[in-house]
Order: sequence, then structure tokens, then C-alpha cells
Amino acid sequence: MNNPNMPGTPKSKFLQSVRDALGREDVPPTQPYPRLTETQAELEEQTAQMRKRLEDRLPTLLDKLAQMAALGGWKVHRASGAEDAIDYIQSVARESGTTSIARSTQDVFEQVPVDAALSNLGIKVTTILWDEDMPRETLREEIRQSGIGITGADYALAETGSLVVLPRRGLARLISVVPPVHIALVRAKDLLETLDDLFLLRRLEYHQQGGEMGSYLNLITGPSRTADIEMTIVEGVHGPKEVHMIILG
Amino acid sequence: MPEIKTQDFTAASSQAILDPKLRRALDRVAEGFHVARLDRIEEVTQETWDGWKDQAREIKVHTIEHLDYYLDLLDKNVAAAGGQLHFAKDADEANEIVAHIVRTRDIKVATKSKSMVSEELSLNPVLESLGVEVWETDLGEYIIQLAEETPSHLVAPALHKSKEDVAALFTDKLGIPYDEDIYNMAATARTVLRDKFMEADLGISGANFVVAETGTLVIISNEGNGRLCTSAPRVHIGITGMEKIIPSMQDLSTFLRLLPRSATGQRITSYVSMTTGPRRSDDEDGPEEFHLILVDNGRSKMLADPNLREALYCIRCGACLNICPVYSRIGGHAYGWVYPGPIGAVVSPMLVGLAKAKELPQASSLCGACREVCPINIDIPKMLLNLRTKTAESPDSTQRTAPEMERVLARLYAKLMSSPRLLKIAVRFGRFAQKIERITPFFSPLTKDGKWIRKAHLPILSRWTRSRDLPTLPKQTFHEIWQKELSDE
Repeated sequence: MNNPNMPGTPKSKFLQSVRDALGREDVPPTQPYPRLTETQAELEEQTAQMRKRLEDRLPTLLDKLAQMAALGGWKVHRASGAEDAIDYIQSVARESGTTSIARSTQDVFEQVPVDAALSNLGIKVTTILWDEDMPRETLREEIRQSGIGITGADYALAETGSLVVLPRRGLARLISVVPPVHIALVRAKDLLETLDDLFLLRRLEYHQQGGEMGSYLNLITGPSRTADIEMTIVEGVHGPKEVHMIILG
Repeated sequence: MPEIKTQDFTAASSQAILDPKLRRALDRVAEGFHVARLDRIEEVTQETWDGWKDQAREIKVHTIEHLDYYLDLLDKNVAAAGGQLHFAKDADEANEIVAHIVRTRDIKVATKSKSMVSEELSLNPVLESLGVEVWETDLGEYIIQLAEETPSHLVAPALHKSKEDVAALFTDKLGIPYDEDIYNMAATARTVLRDKFMEADLGISGANFVVAETGTLVIISNEGNGRLCTSAPRVHIGITGMEKIIPSMQDLSTFLRLLPRSATGQRITSYVSMTTGPRRSDDEDGPEEFHLILVDNGRSKMLADPNLREALYCIRCGACLNICPVYSRIGGHAYGWVYPGPIGAVVSPMLVGLAKAKELPQASSLCGACREVCPINIDIPKMLLNLRTKTAESPDSTQRTAPEMERVLARLYAKLMSSPRLLKIAVRFGRFAQKIERITPFFSPLTKDGKWIRKAHLPILSRWTRSRDLPTLPKQTFHEIWQKELSDE
């Protein structure tokens, strides 16, 4: 793995310089860090408790999600059902005047079939799922030309009003950042309460998948923004200017 | 390393304080960030906030005390995820690692998201010398790159530029018509940089945190440039200081609650992006290679000094800048290097050498506001005092701030103040001189308007007297009052 021509200090030497600075030998922490000693069974137990808590408080937490998401800059729409969600997506699409939309490949689109509804408006819909006929380069260009990116949620956090996406096959990293408008579909079962819930689950998944958690995670809260010129907030500087969270349930 | 101008602090700060435009810009930041920060604390309650701070500090203390252990764990987990971790003892080595990757991967265009460490390494000139086109993509960083300046704030790097400055800069450098509308200027940056993101072979990012447990690099941003830098190019290099490590992914919750609230007064930033290795074979997009470079570059000197070790707990939120009565009057550039403000006054002397930055620990009234706002409870005033002691007592005269004569006078003063008898005589002499001043001009260089030492350029003592008066002696000293009225005997 390590290229002998690669410059830099070898790990052993670097770690020794750190130990020298700390004035001690190579000894692991005498008090092991509690979180790092947790077993998969313990994480599963904690997760079960968390699921119970979420279930008990679902209506409250959905309200909290809607409230915090709006505070974070999402345009929140609480959909009464799939049809209502599709109507909303159509209205956003019409308003944006776009002729092309990219959407991810996720379960939620089986529940909320948007493709036909958007095609009816004369909009070209590209489904992200690379293969030999649709190579990555082509999809990337499609995303770049799209006026709207639509994704589902892997999780949504009530604490911060955030959407969490775990990019992978079917779910490009760029789809939620490149188009000027992003629409996210959140189901009740995607809901988590806190950041702690999220990281607990990620750690459990890491254990369950034998030390694999996927390459990327994005926590998205509101539109892209900057205040770098005279502290004036401008939305949509590099990422989307307009973000919609549709909450189903 | 970028040009070090810390030795010019006195001159630079005296000049900066007279700049009304800078002052307005600084007020805007202080007002904006500080007030929002207080609102966020009130919202979660002070008690909860203090609890988070204690947790964060505990995590940092533990990690830094076992830094070697966590660096090793991180290395293993970065490798397990298919990435490569590189260790660099100094700026040159870090730059060589980047240069090696650039040469062997045929890199032509690089986009960068905000990284203070890359400023510290002065990486851009190295990349340019290799023929790489480098684009800073954070709007503030893009502005200062065009202006060929350095950041003046940890979070708002171009705060010292007015919208008129930026408009003129864009006209000059991009050849577009002058337009000082802030929305239009941001749109211009979006258009220019969007092409570069898509074209870039290499994305360079900093890291707010790196998670040892999973080998994950975490960046927080609002603009989305960080997401594009870590997603669009085929190679991603993350560069950060070795102290940015935290043990478990679950520790992130605490830091993600503290950092945005402390930095900009946001509950959370628009984006938190977490990279674990390169893209997997099935992924739709993402870099094919992931490198993480951890830099020492003088940090082990802080680690080795128990009095200054806690400077390594800093998460670079900038709250201590926004509250500091010194920073808020002179801005970041006067500090002469990458890290400004109270924390910069501790970190810079350790990274560039005390001899070159000995004035910086003096840039504080020791009011303690920085300690109060610090989300990690870092005792900055204590470290500034420690550095002052070092500059006063160093056997190396280049590290000392005071000229020899001032040191002699200080020793005499110490003697005077520790002897009641001598002090009494001195007070009598002082009163006499004050009285005489009205009659004879003999003592006039020392007194004015009834003040004992006036603002004057007294040779020897000028560092003390040029900007402040010593008040007149009171009619009775505390000692005299004590003896006459309060003492039982």
C-alpha cells in the first residue's frame, strides 16, 4: 500500500515524536475510551431503546422536524399522501421553469412515483443509476444540466432539522448540491431525534458491515449560503438556493 | 510557510487601529456573530451549554493525552477504508507529499475548500510552481486569493473587504463590469467556480475533525464548496493539524453542537460532510483516491509544554476573536500570521518561534473574555501570561520583549513594592513632586494636569507611558488609612 517514494515521516517516527513531546513511553490509554469498547450487541441494545423512544414520540418529533427544518431554511411541506407530494413537486417544478430534473434511485420513489407526473409537464427526468449504458460521466453531466435534484432521505434529524444522505449507488453525491433546487422526500421511518441517534446508528452499521460505513455522509440543513461579503447572507452560492423538504406522514 | 510578519505587530496594530473602514467591518462581525451566539446559548440554556463544553473538553483532554494511540488507530482505519494517511513533521514535508501526488497523478487543476492549515503551509505557491491551477472556492478565500492577501478572520477570511472593494477587485481581476450588488457578486463567484469544480482533478480540503474510530474526515461549511471539493474531482487530499483527531464518531454530536453556535451563531451549518475513504466501486461519484495529511509543524512543541498544551484543544471557531477588545480594534492582519486573535497570540509564537512573535502575547488586556466564550474552556489568558513570562525571563535575548534598562527598572520596582519602608519614602517623594510641579517646571516631563506620569515619550519607559497616564497619588494611601482608621492596634 505505502509507496516507498512517497515523502513524509514514517508513522513509527512520527508517533515517537508525539510520545517524546508527551514525555512517556508507548502505552495505550489506561482508561479505555468507553465508546470504543462498546460491542455490537451493546450498540444494538442502545439502538433498540432509541427505536422505542422514537416510536413513542413520533408525532411530536415529526412536528419538531418540520419546525427545525423551517428554521434551518428548508421550505417544508407536510404531505397528506403520495398524491399530495407529487402535486407539490409538480408545482415546484413548474415554478422553477426547468426542463430537466435528476432524481436518485431510492425506495421512496416506489411510494411516490414522480417520473410520469413530471414527464407530463414536459420535463425530462433522469434516474441516477449508473451502468454500461448510462456511465458515470453521462449522469454527472445530466445532473449538471438539471434544474432540480430530487432525493429521498436516509435519515432526518428533528434536533437540527437536517436531512441525512449516504451517497452510494443510485444516490450521487452531486445530485443534492449541484442543481439550484433540491427536493427531499422524508418518510416517518427516516426520522431520528438527535445527532447522537444518527451517530449511534452509523456506528452500529459500521460494526454490522464489518468496518464499512460507505464513503460519504451529508448532513444538509437548509440552502447553501454565505455571509463573506459584509456579513450579508446570500443563499445559493455554490449549492442549491432553494431546498424543499416534503414530510410524508 | 507564508511570510511571517508577527515581529511587526506593534507598528501594524498602531496603524490598523486608525483605519475607520476596518473598524466598521470588525464591528459588523462582532455584532453579527457574537449576538447570534448568545441567542443560541440562551435557547439551549446556559446549563446545557456548559455541560456540552465540559464534555468537549474532556474528550479533547483525553485525546491529546493519548495522541499517539489515536493517530495509530486513525491510520489503521483510514487504510481499512481504502485511503492513505500521511504524516508530515513540517510544512515542507506536507507540501512535498502534495507535490508528489500532483506529479504522479497528472493533476492540472485543483479546487480548495477552506483550510487554515494549508494557509499555514503556504501550499498554493507550491502548487502553482508545479503548474497546477489552484482555485480557492470559499467565497471569502476566493476574494483574498484574487487580492493576493491572507485571511483576516478564522471564519470570515475577507471581512476586512467592503463590498466596494470586492466589486473593484472583480472588475480588475475578472474583467467584468463594476457591480457592487452582493448577490450579483456571489452569483459571479458561483459561475466562475462551478466550471472549475467540474474541471478539477484534485480537491483539497481542511478538516474540522477526524474520527479515529472510523477514519472519517469531517468538514462543516455553509456554501457547499466543501461538498463539491470532496465530491467532484478524482483525487481528494485532506490536510489538517494532528490535533484535530477525536476518538469516536459519537463524539461528533457534542462538537457539532458547539462549533457552529460558537462560530457564527448557527444551530448547525448548512452542511456537515463526512468522508470515509475514496468512493466505493459501486458509488455513483466521488474521488477515486483519498489522502489525509496530518501535520505537526510545531504542534509537538505545544504538546511538550504542559502550560500550553491546551492550545491544541482549539476547534478554530473564532469566538475568542469576535469578543476580544484587542482583535476587534485591530483586525486579523496586524497579528502578522495565519492565526489571529487571542488564540493566535498563543499559537503563532509556538509555531513561528517566540523570537519572531514575542509581541503577540502582549496583545491582550487579560480581561478573560476569550476564556469565557471558548467552547472548550481553554484558558487563553493563562497561556498568554505564561508566554509573557517566557519573553521576560528567556535566557535568549532575541526572545525578550523588554530592553535591558527596562528590566533593571522592573527589578527596582519589584524591590520598591516589596519593601514598606521604601514604598513610604517613594510615596512622599511622589507627593512632593506633584506639589512642586505647580510651582516649578522641573518635573514637568513627568507630570501634567495633575497626573503623575503623562502620556509622553519618556526614553526608557516609553513603552509604558506613550499611551497611558499614571493617575495621581491619592491623598491617603490604603496603608495610611489602615493605620489611622481600620487597624485595631
